[in-house]
Amino acid sequence: MRKWKLFSLIMLVMPLIMITNNLMAQEVPVSGTVLSDDGIPLAGVTVSLVGTDRATVTDVQGKFTLTAKEGALLEFSHVGYAKQILKAAGSMSVRLKMSESDQMQDVVVTAMGIKREKKALGYAVTELNAQELMKNKNTNVVNSLVGKVPGVNITQFSGAAGAGATITIRGGNSTSDSRQNQPLFVVDGIIYDNSTTVTGNTATDGMSRSNTTYSNRVMDINPEDIESLSVLKGAAAAALYGSRAADGVVIITTKKGAEGVTKVSVASKVISSWANKLPEAQTVYGNGAYGINGVFNENTYNSWGKKVSASDTLYDNIGDFFQHGLVFDNNVNVSGGSKNGSFFLSASNFDQKGIVPNTGFDKTTFRFNGEQKYGRLTLSSNVAYSIADIDRTLTTAGLYNDNGNGTMGAVYSFPQVFDMKRYQNPDGTQFRRMESAFSLEDDMDNPYWIINKNKLTSRTKRFTGGVNANFKVTDWWNVTARLGYDQYATGDYTYTAPGSAVRPLYQNGRLAKSDFEYSFLTTTVMTNFQKSFKGFDARLMLGTTTENTETANQNHWGYKFTTPGTISFNNIETINQFFRDRISQKRLVGTYGELGLSYKDMVFVNATGRNDWASTLPIDNRSYFYSSVSGAFVFTEVLRNIPLLSFGKVRASWAQVGKDANPYVTNTYVNNPISYGSFIGIGNQYTSGNPYLIPEIQDSWEIGGELRFLQNRISLDYTYYHSETANQIASPRLSNASGYILKSINSGSVINKGMEIALFGKAITQKDFSWDVMLNFSYNRGRLGQFLEGVSYFYPTDAQFGTVKAASIPNGGYFLGMTGQTYLRETDDNAKEIPNGRYQVDPATGLYKLNSTNPVVGNREPKFIGGFNNTFRYKNFILSFLFDFRKGGDVFNGTEYAMVLNGLSKKTLENDRQSVTVSGVNSVTGEDFTQTYTAGQTYNINGTQKDGAYMIQEYWNNYAANSMHFITSVNWIKLRSLSLTYDFSGVLKNKKVFKDLSVTAIGTNLFTWTNYKGMDPEVSAAGGTGGSGSTGIDYLGVPAVASFTFGINMTF
Amino acid sequence: MRSLKYILLGSLIVLSSVSCKKWLDVNTDPNNPNNESVLVQNRLPWIQKFYCYTAGVTNFRTSSQAGIYYSNSASGNALSTTWIAHTGNVTPYQTWFVEVASNLNDLYNTAQKNGAWHYMATANVFHALGFMEMLDVYGEMPYTQALSQTASPAHDDGKTIYYGCMSKLNEAISLFEKQQDPTAPALAAGDMWNGGNVDKWIKLCYGLKARYMLKLSKKTDLYNADSILYCLSKAPQSNDDNVVQVSYNNSTALDYLLSDPVVTNGNFDYAAYGSNQRISRFHYNLLTNMRNAGVTDPRMTKIVPASMANVQLDGSGRVASFTWNRSTGVDVHGTATRLVKGGATSIATPTYAAANTNIKYTIANATDRANFIADQVAAGRQHTVDGNDVTVTYKAGSIYINSTNYLFAGDTAYVNMRASSLATSGIAAQGEKDVCWYPSASAFNAGVVGSTGSFQVRPVSDQEILTYHEMCFIKAEVYMRKGEAGQAYTAYRNGIEAHLNMMQKKLTEWQATGFAATNPDMAPMDPGAITAYLSSSAVASAGDLTMADIMLQKYIAMGCSVENWNDMRRFNFSAGNVGSFGVVYPGFDRSPLFAGTAQYTAGAKTDPRYWPRRWALPTTLELNYNLTNVLEVNKHATEPSVWSMPVWWDCATDDEYYGYLK
Repeated sequence: MRKWKLFSLIMLVMPLIMITNNLMAQEVPVSGTVLSDDGIPLAGVTVSLVGTDRATVTDVQGKFTLTAKEGALLEFSHVGYAKQILKAAGSMSVRLKMSESDQMQDVVVTAMGIKREKKALGYAVTELNAQELMKNKNTNVVNSLVGKVPGVNITQFSGAAGAGATITIRGGNSTSDSRQNQPLFVVDGIIYDNSTTVTGNTATDGMSRSNTTYSNRVMDINPEDIESLSVLKGAAAAALYGSRAADGVVIITTKKGAEGVTKVSVASKVISSWANKLPEAQTVYGNGAYGINGVFNENTYNSWGKKVSASDTLYDNIGDFFQHGLVFDNNVNVSGGSKNGSFFLSASNFDQKGIVPNTGFDKTTFRFNGEQKYGRLTLSSNVAYSIADIDRTLTTAGLYNDNGNGTMGAVYSFPQVFDMKRYQNPDGTQFRRMESAFSLEDDMDNPYWIINKNKLTSRTKRFTGGVNANFKVTDWWNVTARLGYDQYATGDYTYTAPGSAVRPLYQNGRLAKSDFEYSFLTTTVMTNFQKSFKGFDARLMLGTTTENTETANQNHWGYKFTTPGTISFNNIETINQFFRDRISQKRLVGTYGELGLSYKDMVFVNATGRNDWASTLPIDNRSYFYSSVSGAFVFTEVLRNIPLLSFGKVRASWAQVGKDANPYVTNTYVNNPISYGSFIGIGNQYTSGNPYLIPEIQDSWEIGGELRFLQNRISLDYTYYHSETANQIASPRLSNASGYILKSINSGSVINKGMEIALFGKAITQKDFSWDVMLNFSYNRGRLGQFLEGVSYFYPTDAQFGTVKAASIPNGGYFLGMTGQTYLRETDDNAKEIPNGRYQVDPATGLYKLNSTNPVVGNREPKFIGGFNNTFRYKNFILSFLFDFRKGGDVFNGTEYAMVLNGLSKKTLENDRQSVTVSGVNSVTGEDFTQTYTAGQTYNINGTQKDGAYMIQEYWNNYAANSMHFITSVNWIKLRSLSLTYDFSGVLKNKKVFKDLSVTAIGTNLFTWTNYKGMDPEVSAAGGTGGSGSTGIDYLGVPAVASFTFGINMTF
Repeated sequence: MRSLKYILLGSLIVLSSVSCKKWLDVNTDPNNPNNESVLVQNRLPWIQKFYCYTAGVTNFRTSSQAGIYYSNSASGNALSTTWIAHTGNVTPYQTWFVEVASNLNDLYNTAQKNGAWHYMATANVFHALGFMEMLDVYGEMPYTQALSQTASPAHDDGKTIYYGCMSKLNEAISLFEKQQDPTAPALAAGDMWNGGNVDKWIKLCYGLKARYMLKLSKKTDLYNADSILYCLSKAPQSNDDNVVQVSYNNSTALDYLLSDPVVTNGNFDYAAYGSNQRISRFHYNLLTNMRNAGVTDPRMTKIVPASMANVQLDGSGRVASFTWNRSTGVDVHGTATRLVKGGATSIATPTYAAANTNIKYTIANATDRANFIADQVAAGRQHTVDGNDVTVTYKAGSIYINSTNYLFAGDTAYVNMRASSLATSGIAAQGEKDVCWYPSASAFNAGVVGSTGSFQVRPVSDQEILTYHEMCFIKAEVYMRKGEAGQAYTAYRNGIEAHLNMMQKKLTEWQATGFAATNPDMAPMDPGAITAYLSSSAVASAGDLTMADIMLQKYIAMGCSVENWNDMRRFNFSAGNVGSFGVVYPGFDRSPLFAGTAQYTAGAKTDPRYWPRRWALPTTLELNYNLTNVLEVNKHATEPSVWSMPVWWDCATDDEYYGYLK
């Protein structure tokens, strides 16, 4: 630990040294405006200082600032424009000409932070700048990527405050839920953890914490700090990052100070949000249910009861429950620099009140970035600190069906004839409507009781820092060393109030605190060589890296508060206090190299190789090597006279990447000892280790090309890719007969193939009016290849939502499949079901017969997704809007399922609940079968008398059991964001105070056109992130929100 | 590419020489021992305790099917009353494989390494106990490939499992007969059941063999009376040979998998943990009117719970006077009048009136209203009548039903079997020596008992693994089948007496420990009542012994045990079509609220598929995760009607059995 303390000290002191040095530096600020040939400001022009990696990008007014020595060379490059190199001057006005194809320059950040010309790449990379990200700023930067990057699929967990999102690039590669399918995030060269850590469990917290809101940890980044974001999609692009790069990489570069005057920017926003759409409950029938003999039972929360009479009061329990959300978002940053140094300092606060009462999210961030030069040595450091607090609520109860634990589950099932707001008695105990039917532990907690009495909060404090040193040995050789540290601690607090509907042991109150700590330390040494000769350019990079990842988890819990009112472990008898401790550690050593060759800006070839040694694999299998090759050919260099075509390139790549295991999965461990009388018992845990694991290996290839027409006003980028990830390290749910619930195995392969198309156009480029448009489109087809023989499905999790389960289907079936139940249809002579045939009715039940062999009922993967992004600029107005769209992909409406089951769904009002008709063929005889069940009648079914009202309920149970009734192949077009900005900088006379001033109004998720009938089709129950997860399953979640933002940005 | 590889290879060599291999050796969890380091004397207690957990849940659920208990929990009711199937049939399977069986190979192998033959033998005994129980309920499952490296084990039929278990018992007997290596840990160090007494273990093995061989009674070719009698001669010979798991009420440790209390009795964890279970009238009648003798069994008050009634509180709010309200049985299998009126799960949970409480009932039916008022008068409760409305005052200290539905008001007559352990009481002040159930903390403070519980299913009850009285009843049945009524009669009487003696011994022990202070049902029986009962006509005389007499006494004695359901299947419940024994379980039938038309496809009692014959395999664990293998052996495993499909030993011939699976 001492080492880390020293390290932290260095990280803190360094910035101070840098600031001091900045004041003494010799460089001057260079600023200016870049205009197109016809005088229109050009945004997104890369301005780089020749011979360094210092660069910036012009803003929407075409303005830039940079520090450079006077007289140094600046290179201006932009898609579709000719590269220009000019001497730096204090204030510059640059006009760029539309380019000839051979002058194309477009620089992007690639693996290991190396900037390369886009045309030299043999694989697809998408880069977004700050301006694009801020158009629909979201405190979770992942959410700002929706619709903007082809091949990237983002799913928000829910509309709850602080809810995270998942991001997958080109489909998931690992089937197991303990394996993340999310890309590696690299911030300023340092790997940045983006786990969605579920830190507690039923045993230690007394509540199923997994059924609540979780944040993905990239949310700890302040989006306003981001300068650019680069998405490396394929393995070829990411191969250098080794074991964790199989799912792609997102490289984030944060802002730097520019040479010149110190700038202060302030941005403030107020955001109001509301539930987009709520489930509708029937208001015709009250609580209760009918027994088989027609006897009415009022002691149930189901709504199969009597018709509501005029004298009854009805309550809009669902509608009344949610409130308006409100966010205050404030940011400030200071930046500046001199000839040899620069700094950037920022602070922000995001304070959110959720749409569920008493929930919220509050995030505060600080960042310091600095850079300093000493001759040939450049030192830079990035330090960030954040505190994120979340107050949340449980959505549903856990796997073991603990009654009463879920807020949302209770909200969506509460009979409308009961006033849900009445949740406590005058003496403060819980008001229980059905005391005679249920003992407390079997009852259901009132949602208001949960949100007002219980507490479920987390606080995450995160520190990340990196120190970079770059030494330029000669102009063709440099060496970089980097030390990165990423550490966070999450403290969870779970309090169950006395008198809650929980197991008796905890009915006198329960408290749990858990501390989770993550730390990651990485070191990298890299050396780059670059040489040009006779039209050839050659680059060689060699590097080595070490990674050390540690997690520590401590749980403390206790129950039975002695003195009422004091919620503390100190108020609990010692014998009722408990403690548990878990740690994990993994280490990795990697060594890698890259060789690049190019000929005359026309042919580019690149090869990489990497060997990893991973601590998590068995010693004999811990070392593994993999490589990649990519190439690009700019054919317009040879075929110069194709009409309309100004640039054309084809590219291809092949890559292999390995993926190691999770820590400690090579052994089988035992449970904590338990004592019985004088004996002490110890037994195996329910997870079995595997001492024979080998690494997962992904093989992938992609081909693509880029075409630009009409002097680059239109450009088209196309990619087709294929990947296969074999030897899946997984712990799938299998037969318990092995003795274990989870068993680590190497089996199965995941195959993804897909296509990405992006079209950019400058539709209008007038002086006062311009219109930029971007349309992208992508699809992925994820399939599971071979798998264990005899196992029909790969289930990533035990969780079942209603009648469906997330599953991957072996031998070429859907990776994001769903299994469920369906009504059986009539069969042909070979006992095969006839597609669209009539349903079979089981004479034993008088209802439709179910296929209970888990047929595949859906594929949650969309047919395609895309975005349509527009920016209009008229004088000082900028209007932009982003549509994103999706075609296909099944969504299971589990909320509706639950409401049908408990009689609250409007569907169940069919025929005013007086009758239902079952019609099909008799499953035994094959004869026609039609039967109407009418309330008040009695039916003899297979020798048993059954009441009509009971049969109507049974009909709806039967209806609910058919998963197909709740599955929709969902299409949508969403107006994801609509923003209008007015820039006052032109009208502000006294620029000495304000450099920039703009106001913005943004609407988010204002309209959704969809065929989905449920709350919001963009869903992921329980926020599963690993394996095929629970995306596409809408189950009793917090509804998605729409919001309106008003913001002001100022620069002094 | 080639040059690149050399370059990389070069740097690789440099690096590997520099980097310390040790730096990567961090993949052994320093916080947890692993499966190879655990001692056998720690492994065996774990297996013994968690086997009781598996057995407890199986005993409870099959007892609901066998009519021992009525349950009003949604899932338990499915087994006791509506028979519509039970979706949560996961626990026995999962606890057996994951909590118990996963340890058997490690116990066996570690013991073998140490020359600890007796520990090896125990691994075999548990193998037989567990797999045979699984066979009893699920019929087919992975067996030969279970507990192996095979991640998707194939299923085996019941015959394979049955013979596998029998051979494990034979191996166990020969291992127990060996002398352990001198360096091996003594069996006593890890044996909670028999304290390391090898003779008792051998008797257990023979007793289990007898129990298992009896299962074959439908098979004319395999049933062998003399073999059973031979095994019985080497099985427990007295109550001293009984094998039980002693339970405690001194810890709140919870099961890591399912969060139920660990050190308590496995039957308690299911049957008496909550307020949902009550004695069925079928069971109750056997305890109060066996052979229509009208004689109350001395065991009745120990098995049938009571609550306090007519409570008068003193000035300090404590009980001054009361009467015991002995539960009546819930009529499930007969006319079920109460259930038919209110619904299958409708028996209400009582509440404690901390203060005088008024409840207004609206009763439209004049007859019902009159009856209701008469009940109030009889109970001496203050009440007012206003048209259809009857308002009743429950005095402070009363146990009553907090519902305005008059149908439920009388449900205090059905006392649930709930008992409280330290881990389940919910009342902070309730100590170790009080395992009564109190409806609330104020009831506890006043001393008003909600239930006294039931003999076998209290947290501190012994969990019976194999008992001498069972041996007696097996012997009685076997002799009865042989036509040797005299031998059968002796065994029958021995069985009844052995059970009474076993209970009396435990009750005496409980009284000595102090449990009877708050709970008279935990005090010993009146010896006079025992003598009277044994000489009454509730017990058959030598001349008129029937198979029903034997099996119904066994039914009472076995109580919360899977063996009752096993026996009932062997006699086809109340079909009366087995041999010439007539109806062995008279009065046991489908409830009027039976709803399992999809599960139990036959309409006639003599048809095997009229009755509950097995459980479906657990949906998530086998039907979802191992379906291909499941269907390979039983084509109908996923259909609801599998619930009425006889298991292998429940069929007269292999042809019959494989005919079902086809």
